Amino acid sequence: MTGGYDERCAADLAAVAEGRDLSREDRGWLARAVTGAVRPNRDRPLWDLAHALAALARATGPCDGRDLVTLALDPGLATAAAVAERFSGMAGADARGLAPDGGEGWRTTWTGLARLLALAEFVLTAEDLAGFAAVAGWLDDLAAAPDPEGAAALARRLARHLAAYRTDHLPLAPLERRFRAILGFLDGRRAFADDDILAFWRGAMDEGERPGFRTVAEHFVTFEAAAALLGGLEGLAAPASLAEHEGWEERLDASLADLAAAEPAEALAAVLADLPEGPKILTGAEREDLADFLRLEPFHRTRPLTILRAASFGRVQSGIANRLRRGGGGAGIAERATCAEAESYAALRDRAGALAAHLARMLRIAAALRIADRDGLALETRAALDAAEADLRRVRRAGFDDRAGLAAGFAATEAALLRLAEEAGRLERALAALARQRPLDDAFAADRAVFAGAFAAAYAGEAA
Amino acid sequence: MSDEARLLAEIHAARGLLRAPAPARRIGHAALWAHAARAPGAPVDLAVMRALRDESDAARRYRAMLAARALAHAPLAAAASDGAVARRRVGAFDLEILPADSDAPPLLVVRGPDGPWPRAIEAWRGDEAVRLDLGEPVAGATVLALDPAVPEAALLGRLLADPACAVFLL
Repeated sequence: MTGGYDERCAADLAAVAEGRDLSREDRGWLARAVTGAVRPNRDRPLWDLAHALAALARATGPCDGRDLVTLALDPGLATAAAVAERFSGMAGADARGLAPDGGEGWRTTWTGLARLLALAEFVLTAEDLAGFAAVAGWLDDLAAAPDPEGAAALARRLARHLAAYRTDHLPLAPLERRFRAILGFLDGRRAFADDDILAFWRGAMDEGERPGFRTVAEHFVTFEAAAALLGGLEGLAAPASLAEHEGWEERLDASLADLAAAEPAEALAAVLADLPEGPKILTGAEREDLADFLRLEPFHRTRPLTILRAASFGRVQSGIANRLRRGGGGAGIAERATCAEAESYAALRDRAGALAAHLARMLRIAAALRIADRDGLALETRAALDAAEADLRRVRRAGFDDRAGLAAGFAATEAALLRLAEEAGRLERALAALARQRPLDDAFAADRAVFAGAFAAAYAGEAA
Repeated sequence: MSDEARLLAEIHAARGLLRAPAPARRIGHAALWAHAARAPGAPVDLAVMRALRDESDAARRYRAMLAARALAHAPLAAAASDGAVARRRVGAFDLEILPADSDAPPLLVVRGPDGPWPRAIEAWRGDEAVRLDLGEPVAGATVLALDPAVPEAALLGRLLADPACAVFLL
């Protein structure tokens, strides 16, 4: 999924997340603090950070900005347990976290403090440390006067710093326009169907914007995931109590944590990262197919028709876009726009089924490799493992003839493999249910007319 | 509420960032910072030394940290010169190399204003670097012998003489 950030931002964030080995939840929080997806005040994390650093400066006694930098960069302070162990018992802390005013005023939990220190590392090291000296200087100023005024001054400086960073590295305006258009299109509705996505995309094509169908589908994924939260925003527009705001923030946090956890796209990335050189559990083509099918999580379970449209016609459209970018190569624009080469829904379904079957077979092989002692097992289990052994002997792939290397390779990828196999199975079932409602060949023919019409109109200038 | 589209954009970007592939592991910020904070002559982390030598990215990040720690620093020699530099200015401090004579090695003299005094000097050129203790100032100056028999002192002398050498007073 792309959009809304550049490579520098992704690298800055990844350096902090990897260096501290942050959990998915904490990475999600940090990403939100950076993009500003925090309400009611998107700079609240920086306010909290400034107060946390002031509290630490007061509690740890005379210090200078360098001591605060050392705290901020310490990967040993990345978890709630680690910061609790380091700081509980010091002045200005209680059992739950930092509470410099005895819990009367500003406070944060140990989880909150661990996250704030990660944010501190981010603001220090953002833009590959271009602002390091400036931020370190501000920490010097805070250390010299770690009072509420000093904290407020630091919070304002950090807010300006991060706002400038967002301007340079988070191009959110086009995304904001897209979401405003989606909100306008749905006209107050929170629910939508596959055909709404298609109709919205056609409208954008007609207006000459020519967004990728897959990109538009990704925006609907985010819209759907966040739709439940949007109602809460209306409440924020009216004067509301702080408690209500906090409740809303917790719902946003919880919802985003859900979004971040257990994504098959993440599992796929993990498989790719962990894939040893040896056994070819997934070929390059298989990985690409899986990525194509699962990238729109959770639509592969809930909106299989949109998955088929993206895989078939979305690919045609990216072919057209690539050809326009390169200025040549392969079939011409007019020919591509007819969608004569689009992969049929039936063929895509077969491929999804084959992938699911392959992953299931790989999982059984993983079990066979792991379970050596089978004497005490039930008869059926033993038979299944024997079948997996037979499968293993039939596989003709690089690395599958080296049992020890293969076992190590599977051990490294097993959890991610399991997740991918589950999701591929769900996609297979969703496609089967879709095919029962409406023959896939009919749906494909109807969609081909729609996409070909939209492509022909939108790319007429270049096709001529 | 008009803020909805903005929040959706921010959430979308945050989700995208979570999915962005992790880069190859590189030397951590904390390790570079610890190296920047080390005492002269203290044991060094060999992984950091390797990264500083082999990865331009690590060296750049390290120098950004050094600059933040330094009382004064000069990325390159201030004075243009086609020969060896005998004198250069680093922030409010004056560095001068007095040539060797028959019975004394070259001397580095650091002069500066009253106030915080640098405890160490670090010089960088390409992948060569050296850090030495400066000692307490006497009457507004510190003198360091660049004894050719002491490899680190000799290296400092060689680096400081090169206009392309970066200097950090820490």
